[in-house]
Amino acid sequence: MNQQNTHTIDHHLHCAHCGDVCADASITLSDHVFCCTGCASVYELLQEHNLCGYYQDGVQTGVSQQQSHRDRQAYAILDDPTVAARFVEFADQRRIRMRFALPTMHCASCVWLLERLPHIQSGLISAEVDLQRKTIVVDVVPGALRVRDVAELLRSFGYEPLIHVEGNELSREQQRKEATRGLYLRLGVAGFAMGNIMMFSIAQYLAHRNGTTTIDPTLVAVFTWLSIGLSIPVYVYSASPWLRSAWAALRQGTVNLDIPVALGITTLFVRSIADIATGASEGFLDSFAGLVFFLLIGRVFQQKAFDAVTFDRTVRSFFPLSVRRDTPLGEEVVAIDALRVGDTIAIRNGEVIPADAVLLSPVGYIDYAFVTGESVPVECSRGAMVYAGGKVVGTALQLTATRPVSQGYLASLWERSSARTSRDGYRALSDRFGRLFIWAVITIAAVGFVLWLPDIPVALSVFTAVVIIACPCALTLAAPITLGTAMGILGRRKIYAKNIDVLAALDDIGAVVFDKTGTLTSSQPNVVFHGDELTHDEYAAVVSVASHSTHPISRGLASGVSCAKDVGDVTEVAGRGITGIAHGHRVHIGSMHFLAEYGIADPKEMHRHATMVAVDGQIVGEVTPRAEFREGVGELLSALRQQGQRCELLTGDSDRDRDLVSALFEQDAMTFRASPSDKVDHLEQLRRRTRVLMIGDGLNDMSAMAVADVSIAVTDNTSTLAPASDMIIPATHIRHIADLLRYAHSLRNVIHVALWFTMLYNVVVIAIALTGRLTPVITAIMMPLSSLLVIGISVGGAHLFARRVA
Amino acid sequence: MSVMPLLVICSILVAGGFLLAFLFATRRGQYDDLGTPAVRMLFDDVEPK
Repeated sequence: MNQQNTHTIDHHLHCAHCGDVCADASITLSDHVFCCTGCASVYELLQEHNLCGYYQDGVQTGVSQQQSHRDRQAYAILDDPTVAARFVEFADQRRIRMRFALPTMHCASCVWLLERLPHIQSGLISAEVDLQRKTIVVDVVPGALRVRDVAELLRSFGYEPLIHVEGNELSREQQRKEATRGLYLRLGVAGFAMGNIMMFSIAQYLAHRNGTTTIDPTLVAVFTWLSIGLSIPVYVYSASPWLRSAWAALRQGTVNLDIPVALGITTLFVRSIADIATGASEGFLDSFAGLVFFLLIGRVFQQKAFDAVTFDRTVRSFFPLSVRRDTPLGEEVVAIDALRVGDTIAIRNGEVIPADAVLLSPVGYIDYAFVTGESVPVECSRGAMVYAGGKVVGTALQLTATRPVSQGYLASLWERSSARTSRDGYRALSDRFGRLFIWAVITIAAVGFVLWLPDIPVALSVFTAVVIIACPCALTLAAPITLGTAMGILGRRKIYAKNIDVLAALDDIGAVVFDKTGTLTSSQPNVVFHGDELTHDEYAAVVSVASHSTHPISRGLASGVSCAKDVGDVTEVAGRGITGIAHGHRVHIGSMHFLAEYGIADPKEMHRHATMVAVDGQIVGEVTPRAEFREGVGELLSALRQQGQRCELLTGDSDRDRDLVSALFEQDAMTFRASPSDKVDHLEQLRRRTRVLMIGDGLNDMSAMAVADVSIAVTDNTSTLAPASDMIIPATHIRHIADLLRYAHSLRNVIHVALWFTMLYNVVVIAIALTGRLTPVITAIMMPLSSLLVIGISVGGAHLFARRVA
Repeated sequence: MSVMPLLVICSILVAGGFLLAFLFATRRGQYDDLGTPAVRMLFDDVEPK
């Protein structure tokens, strides 16, 4: 068997564009084979424009076109001006500048190809790529191309733009860029002033010998005035981030972390000017400019470190971003926010209903797998209420929205659940601590100043040193950076946390409660066929017909066969049944109701709710889903027990599978036939004893998940988010939940280490500063250093312990 | 020593020129992306047909 495999792989044809294996050699172009027409057309385009260097330069080959064969309609939403505007950064008569996020961009060849788009497509003025941020900025001749055209062009090259980004995602990127530029500009001004002021100061220091000066007094005057002139932009412009922030806090009657720094800067500046004016001394303008310069450098480093941590956290929206609305003039695609009560909307097969609505179509099938966990579609008839979060199965439905989107069922659950996690944050604590810290630092600095008082320059230096060097920033940095890094690491391993508070809450869990269906067992069930013995041909016919349906039970029955070719006369009534002819047999698979429509009667008038199979008009048996544990469930439970967690089963199902489950759970830890309110009661009881983690399959346990301290949703498909849960974990990773709990505990230790480090650092450094040995410039260098060390501890710790997860 | 103030002012003007160049470059976005240009310069320019 193995040998045969290697044999065939050697003879696989590889697509000349993307390198994927081709099913056959049917698509060829000038002696090259392609896996799909998309790849072939990209190749053709490149060849036509003499751009085949792409294939030589590339470290990796192109992006396969097969996966991006999506419904073109997906981009129809970009015709909506409000949506399109999100992608337009700037526009005048000569150009329209658009920015797209292209997640599939990955290598040098991508840069090469994308930046040559203007050679290929007329109407494009230029294209510029940012490889690290995976964005492209395209300049377009006004009127030549619309946002949608550019998006489709990018998609046709295999770079599908992210259109499901939050509305302000791209403008936030713009703001970030502005902020970085501002920082660089301030840094440039401060550096220029510092360099020159230092030169003047050095001349004056060197000329000072034994109380006399060898320097020409007029030159001293010139130096002094130039220094003042140079230091004013430093104070007014370069130092403005701290001054403004501190001023804003003072006006609101609060304190913030920038106040000590602003106080230090202002003290140095004002004192220097006063000294120069009164002739008391030459001032400390060199220290002042150096202080601001190094503070800014520290800020640049901090921001770079923070950017690296927070980058790559794009949350894709759960709801479809657009919806088709019926108007008297026909269908139009509108942004989801624009949907109003009373609007008629059309939802097609597989799409999620965005708002609670009333059904207008005669009959419809809705899969509330998100909501109830049951993937068997529910039948609704005209006038029935349908709820947001349901997925339409089969025929498209016409609906009238009855509640605005933001108040829809899922949205309210989402809001409620997020309110819960933000309450028990570490933030309030660190805020209060930070405030105390600031007052303490100012007090210590004042005391130091008084103690050194006869010697005003030293007293002043001590005051500034203490105020600047005491670094409460680490207190505010440690937790968010550690947890944020961990969130990023987990996200790359397809484990998504809603926010960083969730990871903090995951520590200290004492009990883990599992739901059964869809959590411990697969939501795409293995099915069992009970009934008469079938001949080989009959069996093949049943499988072939089943393979044409998208229904979970049929899918289970077809087990892997995607779409058999030799099936004729297929009719599927979505959600009810399918019929077709294969291998010479007429096959019906569906509910009893469905079979009855074809004149097939159940002689015993039973199995009303089962899925029946009939061959050539005779019922041959029924199909039932078989409960089977997901891979890794046993491992997970024993690992959790080792950690001393209490594991419980809490399910609304009957105890049909009790025997199966009791292999995993103790008898008194299993609860069957629990209604949603039973689940809530049970969890609340449990919570009186310990902190509870609820593991479910998404929305059906919503109320229970909201009660638990932390909830994790196990999903088969991470592209569909489950709003009620705090974390989403793919079913294949279920065994890693135990590691995740241990990781959360390690993270808390990392944060504690960082906090203790900060405390120790502050005590030592303030003590040194009080002795008057630290000049302001040294304090400015040390201050960002301490923050960077804390960032290092946090990021390093988060990475170190993450090796054991997934 | 009377030439000193003149020299000092000259040197500040020269340095100020560099400062302006830096401010100009930053405002034009030359420091926005420090990664991609390193890749971009590896490719030959292709003239459109």
